[in-house]
Amino acid sequence: MTQDPLYREIILEHWQNPQNYGRLKKSDIDVSQINPTCGDKIRLTGKIRGGKLTEVAFEGEGCAISKASASLFTEQIKNMPMTKIKKLKNEDVLKNLPISISPARHNCALLCFNALKKGLK
Amino acid sequence: MKNNFKKDFPIFTNRPKLVYLDNAATTQKPKSVIEAVTNFYTKYNSNVHRGVYDLSFKATEIYEGIRAKVANFINAINPAEIIFTGNATEAINLVVWGYAKENLKRGDIIVLTEMEHNSNIVPFLRLKEELGIKIFYLPIDKNFELDYEALFKANLDLKKVKIISLTQASNVLGAINPLEKIIPILRKKCANAKFLIDAAQSVAHLRIDVQKLDSDFLVFSAHKMYGPSGIGVLWAKHELLEEMEPIFSGGNMVEEVTKEKAIFAPLPGKFEAGTGKLEAVVGLGAAIDYINSVGFKNIARLDRELTEYGLKALNKIKGIKIYGSNKSKNRLPIFAFNISGLHPHDVSEILNRSEICVRAGHHCAHVLLQSLNTQSTLRASLSIYNSIEDIDKLVKGLEEAKRIFNPAKAGFRVILN
Repeated sequence: MTQDPLYREIILEHWQNPQNYGRLKKSDIDVSQINPTCGDKIRLTGKIRGGKLTEVAFEGEGCAISKASASLFTEQIKNMPMTKIKKLKNEDVLKNLPISISPARHNCALLCFNALKKGLK
Repeated sequence: MKNNFKKDFPIFTNRPKLVYLDNAATTQKPKSVIEAVTNFYTKYNSNVHRGVYDLSFKATEIYEGIRAKVANFINAINPAEIIFTGNATEAINLVVWGYAKENLKRGDIIVLTEMEHNSNIVPFLRLKEELGIKIFYLPIDKNFELDYEALFKANLDLKKVKIISLTQASNVLGAINPLEKIIPILRKKCANAKFLIDAAQSVAHLRIDVQKLDSDFLVFSAHKMYGPSGIGVLWAKHELLEEMEPIFSGGNMVEEVTKEKAIFAPLPGKFEAGTGKLEAVVGLGAAIDYINSVGFKNIARLDRELTEYGLKALNKIKGIKIYGSNKSKNRLPIFAFNISGLHPHDVSEILNRSEICVRAGHHCAHVLLQSLNTQSTLRASLSIYNSIEDIDKLVKGLEEAKRIFNPAKAGFRVILN
């Protein structure tokens, strides 16, 4: 049984069975982002209806932290009003994760959020 | 295996548990190098090539003495052929913008290899945009060796090949390219080509002899050979340096300045604008002394032992894929690898908990990783202070990572939030 402080079961579960994994067709948001540290790439697609992000999906290969964070982050923002999404800060994303992320892994944990920010520019 | 050299490096006294396996990125510094830098600041600090007072004269003597030491270290004919730069990357840029830009024209060809570090690719890509030249990459064969003969099968007008820039050793594959064999063959076929050797990765492992290598340019950084960061070297044949343009201008690099015109200083000053990295040059001198005191024979023996043991130990790990030759011949103890199903970042995080430092990522070799068909790898790169115990610790850490990330083995249960 793993008792790892960083790779807790919830993280490993989201890593192996990520939520919202895939690509949406006819999306309003379609953006790719690279993690400069390791070259991992994520593609984020989303649909906006009535001022809300009604559907969101991500795909790409990444480390456990980036994949689990993307899974948890897309859960966090699904159905969120766009006005609220636009106000999100790094801390809001990191706070939502069930683990504490060291600065060395911020690029991994925020990869999906960085993609979203790029897509909303 | 007894390691006699670890005690020379104070970082291991301060961090007794440290297993430093990122030497291809930068090496640790021996006490003698650290002391040489301090010694310069505490006893000789003043600007060089300036004052007529004794102290500045002494500083200049030390500084220029190290230029001669560097020349001797790589068997250059003349110390004026040694240009101090910020690092190997800056030295390559000096060749690209000071030589290639002035001498190449549209349609000319530059030959690189797929195993180059970005520092030996990106400046040429910029030049390609600017001049409309072509770049041909020598591929890697299935044994992770350079397939230089591919150039002759590529249907290129070899008269148009103007620069061939090759690394002496790959920072990912660990492969040592047999340049003494390759360069004469390439020279014969590409009579108009100048050769640039990137020795950044090899300089701490192989005795470099620029005359025997029959190169035109050679670059390296001090920080990968136990010296300080921020200092590198461009060596070039005297006549090439004479015709090259400086890319930076200002103080130190001029002989005469009027309101209308500046006359550049003779070599090597022409390429060293502004005050140099004085203490780093002094550190580089001490690093050369250190390497010479260990001796390249000892270094080669250690490299061979570590490579053999490393390959054997890593190959025992189930699911490992090593990107590099499985033979220790013509190979540095640099191991790039992946473990099936595990991401390099996650593995290095686990290793970090035992103070094992490895690199995880693309190793500034995007082109190579594309031809290896992988996005990132782990990399353990060893040096003279590493031992087989370090390799054992690495293997243990890798097994631990496998345990954490292998759900079945770890007794993992699905818990949904």
